[in-house]
Amino acid sequence: MIGLAQPAQSQKTHSTQEEALQWLNSAQLPDTSLYWPHVKNHLFLENLRINVTHPVGMYQGTNTNFCGYAALSYLPLNYDPLQYVKFMVSLYVDGQANWRKVKFTPSPEVMLAAGTLHFKGVLDIHPADQMWFLILADRFRSYLNLFHVRFHTGSEDTFWAACNLGKFNRMIKHMMGYKVKAIGSDLLHPGIRDLYAYLQKAVHTGTTFLYVNNTYLHVKNHNKSRFSFPTHFLVLTDIQKQDDVLTIIYWDYGGRTLRQVTTSFLKKILYGVTYIVKDNDEK
Amino acid sequence: MKNKKGHIALCVLITLFAASCKTVNITRYYHRHQSILDSIELVYTHTYAQKPFSIEFTDRAFDRVSLELVTDTLTYVYEFWVGEDRMMDTLRKFGYDTSAITDLITRMRSVDCTWVNNLDYYTEERKHYLTYISLWPRTFNFPFVNKKYYILTYFQQPQYFDSDGNLLVGRRLRRVRKINTEVFRRINDRVCYTLSDRFR
Repeated sequence: MIGLAQPAQSQKTHSTQEEALQWLNSAQLPDTSLYWPHVKNHLFLENLRINVTHPVGMYQGTNTNFCGYAALSYLPLNYDPLQYVKFMVSLYVDGQANWRKVKFTPSPEVMLAAGTLHFKGVLDIHPADQMWFLILADRFRSYLNLFHVRFHTGSEDTFWAACNLGKFNRMIKHMMGYKVKAIGSDLLHPGIRDLYAYLQKAVHTGTTFLYVNNTYLHVKNHNKSRFSFPTHFLVLTDIQKQDDVLTIIYWDYGGRTLRQVTTSFLKKILYGVTYIVKDNDEK
Repeated sequence: MKNKKGHIALCVLITLFAASCKTVNITRYYHRHQSILDSIELVYTHTYAQKPFSIEFTDRAFDRVSLELVTDTLTYVYEFWVGEDRMMDTLRKFGYDTSAITDLITRMRSVDCTWVNNLDYYTEERKHYLTYISLWPRTFNFPFVNKKYYILTYFQQPQYFDSDGNLLVGRRLRRVRKINTEVFRRINDRVCYTLSDRFR
C-alpha cells in the first residue's frame, strides 16, 4: 500500500468554490429554458452544485467520446468554478455565451439533444454536463470530425465527438488562455528519453494531461492484437518511481485512480503530454 | 492421393466449424452453473456493501487477478498472482474481508468468470445498482475469432421485458434498455444476459 502526497502545483486559483456557490444561489433561472427544452431546471442546478463542490466527480458517460472535454473541465472546475457557473447559467438562459474570447452559439441539434442522452451512467441525470460536453464538441472541430459534421442521435459515441491532441491543446489555449507545453502526436509516441523525470517535472509545473491508448489502460477484452493509436485523455496528478515501477495517480471517469505500471508500459500507451506552463493572467 | 485431399478438406472444414462456432446457449450455461453464479452475486453484493471493489482476471489461465479497491479518495488498481501473499497483505491493509474475497476468486475461477463489478443505472432520475458478471467460457477461445463473453446482470428488483424478452427501461417507459451499449434479454425476473465482444 502506497501513500502519495499531493503534488505542489504552481497553478493559480481564480475563484473559489464558495464564490461559485454563492453566485449560483443568487442566480435567477427560468423554470424552463427556451433554448434547452430537455434540460430540467432542478437537475441543471443540482448538477452545477455537484460539479463545484466535488469537481473530480465529473463523469463523461459510458462509452462516449467525451473524454477530452471531461479532461478539459478539470481546469475550470478546479481553478475557476465561478467563471464556469456563470458561463453555464448564461448558456441556459440566453442560449449562447462567451468563455473569455470564445463565443459559443450551439447548433439546434445540440440544444435538442442536451438532457436526452441516456444509458450513460450518472451522465443520464447530469444535463449540465451533457450541455457542456455537447457544446464543446459542437464548437471545436478537427480533422477527426471531418465526416461527422452535424450531431445526430448517438453522435456522442462517434467521431463527431472525438478529440485529438491538437484540438485539445487548442481548446486549452483559446478558452482558458493558458500557455501550454505539449509533446506528442496522434500517431507517434513522443520521444521522451527519461519519461519519469519529464512527467514529474510536468506535474509539479502545472496541470498535466496525458493522451493515451485506452485499450491497454482500461482493458475491455482479452484480444492480443489491439490497435495502436491514442483514444483517451486523462489528468496525471502524481507520479513516483521505485526501481522500474512507476506509481501514477490520474483522474478520469469521475474519479482518481492509483496504478502501478512499468516505464515501458507507460511509454507504450503514451502518445502525448500537455501541461500548463503559465497562467494567462500572470505578468 | 484422392484420400489425402479428402483429409485436408475435412481438416479445413473442422477448423472452419471450430472458428465459427462462437455461440453457446447462455441460458443453458446459466442454469447449469446457477448455484455457483448466484452465490458469486450473493457474496460479491454482501462484501461490496462493506467496502466497494471489483475483481478481474487478466489472463486466459485465470492465474492473474486485478483488484480495484475503491476508497473515498482513490481507486487503487493492483494486479497479483492468485493466492499471492502480497494480495492478502494488501486486502488486510485496506480492511477488506480477505476470506470472502478469496472465496469469490475461487468461485470465479471455477466458472471462468473474468469480471465482477457493481454498476449504477438510472430510471426516472433514480439511481439503482446491478451486479455485472462477465464469463469467458473456454468454448469461446478459438483462434481467429474475436473473444466473446457471456454477460449476466443481476438486478436488485424484478425487471420489465417486452414480448421478445428484451430488458425494458421500466413499466411506464417501455423502451429497450441498454447497459454498456448492449441489449439484455431475460433469464428470469432479476437476471438478464447478453453476448458481448467485451467483458466490461
